[in-house]
Amino acid sequence: MKNNNLKFKINFYFFAIVFSFLFFVFCLNANAASLSLVSSVSEIGIGQQFQVDLMLDAQGQDINAVEGRITFPNNLTAIENVNDGNSIINFWAKNPVYSKNSDVVFSGVIPGGFQGVLSPYYKGGKPGKILSLIFQSKNEGSGIIAIKDAKVLLNDGKGTEAELQISNFQFLISNQIPIFEFPTASVKDTRPPELFTPIIARDSNVFNGEWFLVFMTEDKESGVGHYEIAEKSGSLKQNYSELPWQTAESPYLLKDQKLASYIYVRVIDRANNERITVLPPQNVRPWYKKYLIFVILITGATFLYLIWRIVWTKLCATKYSSTL
Amino acid sequence: MIFKFRYFLILFFFPILLSTYYLLPAGIIFADTDGVTLTVTISQNCGNGVTEGSEQCDGSDLSGETCVSLGYTSSALSCNADCNFNVSTCSSVAPITPSGGGGDYVPPSTAVTFFGRAYPKSTIILLKDARVAATTVANDDASFKMSLSGLSAGNFVFSIYSKDKNGLRSPLLTFTVSVTAGVTTNISGIFIAPTIAVDKSEVKKGDNIGIFGQGVPNTKINIFLNSDISGEFFYTTKTDKSGDYFYNFNTALLGMGRYIAKIKTTLKDETSSFSKEINFTVGTKNIISEFPKEEEKGDINGDGRVNLIDVSILIFWFDKFSVPPEIDLNSDGRVNLVDFSIMAYYWTG
Repeated sequence: MKNNNLKFKINFYFFAIVFSFLFFVFCLNANAASLSLVSSVSEIGIGQQFQVDLMLDAQGQDINAVEGRITFPNNLTAIENVNDGNSIINFWAKNPVYSKNSDVVFSGVIPGGFQGVLSPYYKGGKPGKILSLIFQSKNEGSGIIAIKDAKVLLNDGKGTEAELQISNFQFLISNQIPIFEFPTASVKDTRPPELFTPIIARDSNVFNGEWFLVFMTEDKESGVGHYEIAEKSGSLKQNYSELPWQTAESPYLLKDQKLASYIYVRVIDRANNERITVLPPQNVRPWYKKYLIFVILITGATFLYLIWRIVWTKLCATKYSSTL
Repeated sequence: MIFKFRYFLILFFFPILLSTYYLLPAGIIFADTDGVTLTVTISQNCGNGVTEGSEQCDGSDLSGETCVSLGYTSSALSCNADCNFNVSTCSSVAPITPSGGGGDYVPPSTAVTFFGRAYPKSTIILLKDARVAATTVANDDASFKMSLSGLSAGNFVFSIYSKDKNGLRSPLLTFTVSVTAGVTTNISGIFIAPTIAVDKSEVKKGDNIGIFGQGVPNTKINIFLNSDISGEFFYTTKTDKSGDYFYNFNTALLGMGRYIAKIKTTLKDETSSFSKEINFTVGTKNIISEFPKEEEKGDINGDGRVNLIDVSILIFWFDKFSVPPEIDLNSDGRVNLVDFSIMAYYWTG
């Protein structure tokens, strides 16, 4: 009887502790921000393209920075594209570059913080998209696209790390599953990236204090592909295809440190729409510093003097001969 | 039975007590960052008889314009079904704008309109995706309205802050909104936190210290004082008709040490977000406070703003070592995500 009572007590305390722990964990996680990989499909045919979105749910917290790494089984799938169109991230500390078989590393910032996406069509805030990954399935099998080394930071001025829950994406690739038309392929982005204004700046801590250019814009549909820059002195060029374009990233060290050239900045989105912004020369030389003008004036004056000398000689000769 | 019931009570209440202990601080953090209740609606922007957002007119509401004000000679202006002016009935002498002449259909613009409160005659700065998109000046009653048009559809991060008449800046109020194509999205209930300053950086225990700033006229100001030594204190005061407030109180009841003050304001059922935090010390002497400078922690190039230039400098140094100390915002010897987070908090655009 005594043993039974003791057994009951042990069982009771065990369940009480386990129940309390589970309740505590559940409650704690209810306030944790979450990073999730979501897709409209989980069963995929071979050779099928599919999209997986990385979503941030702030869960009432104020998040202003996020980073992590997305891994995938490269024997089963390959990455076709990474799209940051319509992302809640305003600046990428590390652009989410990709290659077919390697992890996608991302690190971005939201100035002012993120608490959820508001809309007139629902109450409260919903999760926001960080980026989309387009995969192509290669071989049969099941696998997981996973978020690793993830971190989200609070918008508290200290960079405090927030509690984080991770939700990975599990999929099955089979030749039994019919291939369907990839939905995003039918959506055509015809709008150029957003308007932007590059800024010329100089700071002793960057490029040894030389002039550099900073620029950033967004494309809400297909996302920004890349930027190109051309510097050209002389008059403003109307035919942009003749310019010496070079792929560039911000901050960009300017070649013309005298700032006497036009700076052309071209942004091209992932659907090949482009927008070009032109900055006029900051230091236009005054007319008296344009040495070509002096060369022309001196040449012209010399030429006129020579003509005058020839004409005068001829006139004098004519006058002299007529006097004789 | 009584024995079992006792354990049932423990089993029931222990997890609740445990979870309450952990949830309480999270709840405070939540309230601290989410004090403002925003309302997001869309305008049935064409056909409701009220000119809104990007509309030139709506029905009989011509926004006070006439043919004459648009550069024509007669005054028979009317409104098209697409909410653009119909100037075909105006006598054409000198048309100023080519639009609205009954030509091709112009699709309705995608726009966002912001309604809120700041401080009387204060400057309001609106950021769109972290860059300055528009500025305006608040009315005498601190209300303001701003519009952005010609937007794409998608998610936009909007931030708003204000500068009071003394040049003090409010914290950034940021919200992410899903904007729909072809309609005007209205965001109302924007309530910018009041500004805050103290007249002494150190006050002799028993002497008075003044907390002052600007907010919405004739509203209640709740002052929160916090100290590790003396705990929390709560005071209330009111703004005058100019939106100014000055709360002078005696420090005899406060223990010696460092205090953090912050405020928020309430008007009927609306509450602002919290102001910036400001520090002062209760000590042995009085030190007059210097007027707060507009120096922010992330302003690396020292131009008084935390913007694209500063974040580009951080990007330049990202994941590099031997970082100059003025760039390493958390002084850990390298530029990483924490430095970006600190800069994002102090962002001005």
